[in-house]
Amino acid sequence: MYRRNWSIVIALLVVASMLLAACGGGAEPTPVPAATEAPAAAAPTEAPAAEAPTEAPAAEEPTVAPTEPPAAEEPTMAPTEAPAAGAACPAGSPTLTIWADKERNAALLTIQDQVLAETGVCLDLQEVGFGDIRSNVSLAAPAGEGPDIFVGANDWLGELAANGVPAEMDLGAKAADFDPVSLQAFTFDGKLLGLPYAVENVAFVCNSDLVPTPPTTYDELKTMAQEMQDAGTVQQFFGLMAGDPYHQEPINTAFGGYIFGQTETGYDACDVGLDSQGAIDYLTWIDGMVKDGLLSADVTWDTAHTLFDTGDAACMITGPWAIQRFQDAGINFSIGAVPGQAQPGSPFVGVQGFMVNAFSDDRVLAQSFLTDYIATQPVMEALYETGDRPPAYLPARGVMDETATAFAAVTESGHPMPNIVAMSAVWSSWGDAIVTVFQQSATPEQAAATAAQQVRAAAGCE
Amino acid sequence: MAVPTAEGTGGRKASRFSQDGSVLGLLVKVLGLSAIVGLLTYTGWRLLGDGAYAFAAAFFITALFFTLVFVRKSTVPLRWIMPGLVFLILFQLYPIFFTVYTAFTNYSTGRNVEKPAAIAAIERLTYVPEGSPAWGWTPLQADDGSAAVWIIDPADGAAYLAVPDEDLVPAAEVNGLQLDANGAPASMDGFTVLPNNQRFLFVSANQGVTFGDEERGVQVTSSTEARQTRQRYVYDPELDAMIDQRDGTIFVSQMGIFTAEDGSTLAPGYPVWVGVENFTSIITNPAIRGPFFTIFIWTFIWAFFSVLETFILGLLLALNMNSPNIPFQRILRVLLIVPYAIPAFITVKVWVGLLNPVLGVIGSAWNPGWFTDPFWAKIGILMVNLWLGYPYMFLIITGALQSIPGDIYEAARVDGAGPFYQFRRLTLPLLMVSIGPLLIGSFAFNFNNFAIIDLYNSGGPPIPGSATPAGYTDILISYTYRIAFGGARGNDYGLAAAISIIIFAIVATVTILNFRFTGQLEEVSENV
Amino acid sequence: MSSATSKKSSGMTMATRRRLDTALRLLVALIFIAYALFPVVFVIGTSLNPSGSLQMAQIIPRNPTLDNYRSLLTSQTNPFLRWMANSLLVSTVTAILTVALCALAAYSFSRFRFKSRKRLLQGLLLSQVFPNILAIVAVFLMLQQIGRYFPMFGLNTLGGLILVYLGGAIGFNTWLMKGFFDTVPRDLDESAMLDGASPWQTFTTIILPLVRPVLAVIFMLSFIGTYSDYLMARVLLSSNQQYTVAVGLSLFIGQQFGQRWGEFAAGAVLAAIPTMILFYISQSQLQGGLTSGAVKG
Repeated sequence: MYRRNWSIVIALLVVASMLLAACGGGAEPTPVPAATEAPAAAAPTEAPAAEAPTEAPAAEEPTVAPTEPPAAEEPTMAPTEAPAAGAACPAGSPTLTIWADKERNAALLTIQDQVLAETGVCLDLQEVGFGDIRSNVSLAAPAGEGPDIFVGANDWLGELAANGVPAEMDLGAKAADFDPVSLQAFTFDGKLLGLPYAVENVAFVCNSDLVPTPPTTYDELKTMAQEMQDAGTVQQFFGLMAGDPYHQEPINTAFGGYIFGQTETGYDACDVGLDSQGAIDYLTWIDGMVKDGLLSADVTWDTAHTLFDTGDAACMITGPWAIQRFQDAGINFSIGAVPGQAQPGSPFVGVQGFMVNAFSDDRVLAQSFLTDYIATQPVMEALYETGDRPPAYLPARGVMDETATAFAAVTESGHPMPNIVAMSAVWSSWGDAIVTVFQQSATPEQAAATAAQQVRAAAGCE
Repeated sequence: MAVPTAEGTGGRKASRFSQDGSVLGLLVKVLGLSAIVGLLTYTGWRLLGDGAYAFAAAFFITALFFTLVFVRKSTVPLRWIMPGLVFLILFQLYPIFFTVYTAFTNYSTGRNVEKPAAIAAIERLTYVPEGSPAWGWTPLQADDGSAAVWIIDPADGAAYLAVPDEDLVPAAEVNGLQLDANGAPASMDGFTVLPNNQRFLFVSANQGVTFGDEERGVQVTSSTEARQTRQRYVYDPELDAMIDQRDGTIFVSQMGIFTAEDGSTLAPGYPVWVGVENFTSIITNPAIRGPFFTIFIWTFIWAFFSVLETFILGLLLALNMNSPNIPFQRILRVLLIVPYAIPAFITVKVWVGLLNPVLGVIGSAWNPGWFTDPFWAKIGILMVNLWLGYPYMFLIITGALQSIPGDIYEAARVDGAGPFYQFRRLTLPLLMVSIGPLLIGSFAFNFNNFAIIDLYNSGGPPIPGSATPAGYTDILISYTYRIAFGGARGNDYGLAAAISIIIFAIVATVTILNFRFTGQLEEVSENV
Repeated sequence: MSSATSKKSSGMTMATRRRLDTALRLLVALIFIAYALFPVVFVIGTSLNPSGSLQMAQIIPRNPTLDNYRSLLTSQTNPFLRWMANSLLVSTVTAILTVALCALAAYSFSRFRFKSRKRLLQGLLLSQVFPNILAIVAVFLMLQQIGRYFPMFGLNTLGGLILVYLGGAIGFNTWLMKGFFDTVPRDLDESAMLDGASPWQTFTTIILPLVRPVLAVIFMLSFIGTYSDYLMARVLLSSNQQYTVAVGLSLFIGQQFGQRWGEFAAGAVLAAIPTMILFYISQSQLQGGLTSGAVKG
């Protein structure tokens, strides 16, 4: 009896997994049509089928290649790549494997069929978490298991380039169509290593009902905060999360602080500006705000945004990703330049783009696909629609809505996020320094000194 | 051996057990054994062919071990263990060896492929000689099926037929050439002009193919352009260096990275053996020694209390639910293990949210500094771990209670022992026999429980003024992880491996000390 | 504890005492069930939250909706049901094989005395406490190699994933099982041996039926452990169709900002159901077990 129970359990599990597999198969109709329809539709015009009638006598000989990966020695008309296992690609068609996150994947999906029909190349779209792409690609690419094309951010370049992963990109005449800041951000060591599609940066967002004219300096902000919090209009005027150098870079730069000094070719990892006077001034301002009860160590990213959602915070520094929730919450808000102080505040500009895997045997094909299909208005617009970030491709900027236009206006005041490897030390050390000031466990001078020393030590600069 | 084996007792006594020392049984054994050993050897052999020596060795050793165990009579008990051991060796021990080996190399960002792969990757880089044109091209197919291109210089309109390994043929010498309105070829003798929609397929099929002779040949570099690309770097095995074909610069291999005299480097590099350098850097680096002691102590406290609290609650609940009289016993038990059934990375985030001082249900009512106070952050994280961890203990103890023979209790009851006495003198010792090793395992697990530390508060609140980024709730593994992977030089796998060996030494010491404890318990059980 | 409380009420009749004991046990159970479910309620709340942020302030969101479930189950790009199927398959196979392999090994460790037994046992446990930061790298390269000869066990295959999980599951579980086997009185199998049973027969006919609760527990542990892993699976699996449910769900919160907690929570709730059903069913294995067997012996 017990034994029977067991077999029932196991049988149930197996049946359940099979049922689910069956349902799962039915629930994703998108890749399937590509498999069932495409060959038929493509047959009259496309290569594999077209060859047979025209080249009938010689058709045997060139079809040697399928298993031969480089295909470099012997030129041949035969498709060189076996289709990826499990992918919905027609047998024999060359395949470009693309790793992209959900939003980018959705945009690429719109051209999958078109590319197959027009070129006979099948796009094998694989959704990978954005952060996972970075960690997995360095491991997978050299092992020959990586994608042909992947999506990434410009601040990964230091690490990826050291591993030789991204192939040098040649945009040809199309380079002129891209926002120069975005190309600069994807240039590492003098080489363009990606095709940018979006720029993103934070801006200063204020609740228009509470603050009709946003403050333009941090002194002004402080005064306003003091007044409104004293009056009880808001719980915390400035919704700034404790920590996180990314959102606070525009404050740091407004006070004259910097992270790494620049050279002609890039950044100097040993010129660490975290203990510069400007950076200390910025931390001192934070310190004063905390002491006056205008900022709190208890505010996290979630807290800050929720406070803004409910009208309990009046202004904050945030990016396009938060806009939807503000709209859902029915808040009227303005998006504008970040306040200045000693100088205008300059946010980090992050740039996202497509990169070609240098270890891929299909690099040239991948590059051709990117320049011919991705660097086009419809695809860039689709990428904008799913991602809501201002396009790096200027001709596609026409479709931007008000929000994106407002963020794009702030981009001009920004500077690319440093793409050197040493940046990873900044995130933890500088982040800790800011937190200790918020928590009042270190003075601004101590915190700045600690962070700068930590980064220098990590980079081996002492 | 204390217990007689089949060989010893077989056929001694007619009994209710049939003897199966038959030919068939033997045959099955031999066939099964040779199949497994054959498979392992085959895989090892293929690996050897691919140059994966260490990995091949793992397979050969496993195969050899397997054979020995099944051939020799004295290793009969090992035969039972062998099937599991195969997996353990390949997927648990091999990674450990890999880690130990890595600890003696400088494997890191920028040095993450083997030398041959690094050389191959660099040799794939190309350059275009100055002044050579960006040709336009048209795909052609020769009558024998091989590929060729028609190239045209957009600057002066000079056009050629380019066939691999042959001199470029000027347009004027091509027989039967017909041009279309755009100046592109429409037809010619011996070749078929492929339509434009085949350009991508052509590119795909002919990557790396040079059309034309060695000197002037071109490669297709995009769907419309062909360039006179040349290999940029060539490896010179004698110098162990890459030579830049463009200007003759020599990049000599230094610690796994090809470096020129002016300091410029080529990517990727490859790991090289550095001896004990990673270990000495741990000892001598003030950044690593910095807050080490504080973190070390907290790691022990964390692991110890995590085990203790989850064990106590798990035990309490298991005992509580172990009465046959409880209604809905099965449903209630299911509800008690719910925390175990939901992925930790959402529940930890929910706990963090609940403790949030502004928004959280708990935090807004009572906030001693769940994330900002060094002491209360530790309490908070222990609290969350209790919730996450007790169902595991509950499950195991529930199982263990079932296998304690009921007649023991009856005897005790006859002797007049009360329930508390029964628990202390019978249940607990017997439980410890089966649960003891598990507690050690749980200790080791929590000792290295990076995920929850990271999810709760990323190790924070930060320790002000420490030489290297560290927080009050950081445990050794999260702290060192940050040093090895969050440093300014990218991911330092060599250092990470060295650190994990040191952590292993610590945990192993604790574990071995515990063996004495469990060793005693084992003797208790043998007296049962 | 409840057993101690029942002592005080020694004046009552047996039946009353038993009823009181049960009531107390029930009370304790309910208190801790409330504790267990408290955060889970918020997970469910989040899954009903249209805004996609974590639901923390109140239990029921302002405009509860099933949209997250709907979009999860009908998504074109995320075959959630397929992920569930993959997870069930991988976890079931892993759990069955783990139980089988561990039972064999544990029997040997518990019943035979051989030269390197102690050392092997210690080695087994030590291999499990090694903080293997680089295991993923090593395993990745390994599967990539294996995949060249045996494509069904390569990278991005469920077969390969199962192999890796088996390697990780054997150590602890063998220990655990050996501990349980040790509690089975030795005279039971010794008398069978005297009756002429081979070790294999003793194992299958005497020991296994007695330790059934343990097998059930190991099955559960190994099943849940495999089912919820995502660190390993995330690196080894690279295509949407092959993802396990944990990996698939982690996509929803893979972004630094703008994580979609709503769909994630909906997925987590749905993914928890098989585990709970499994535990419910397998509890029949927890009953009785040794007690009944011991009487027979």
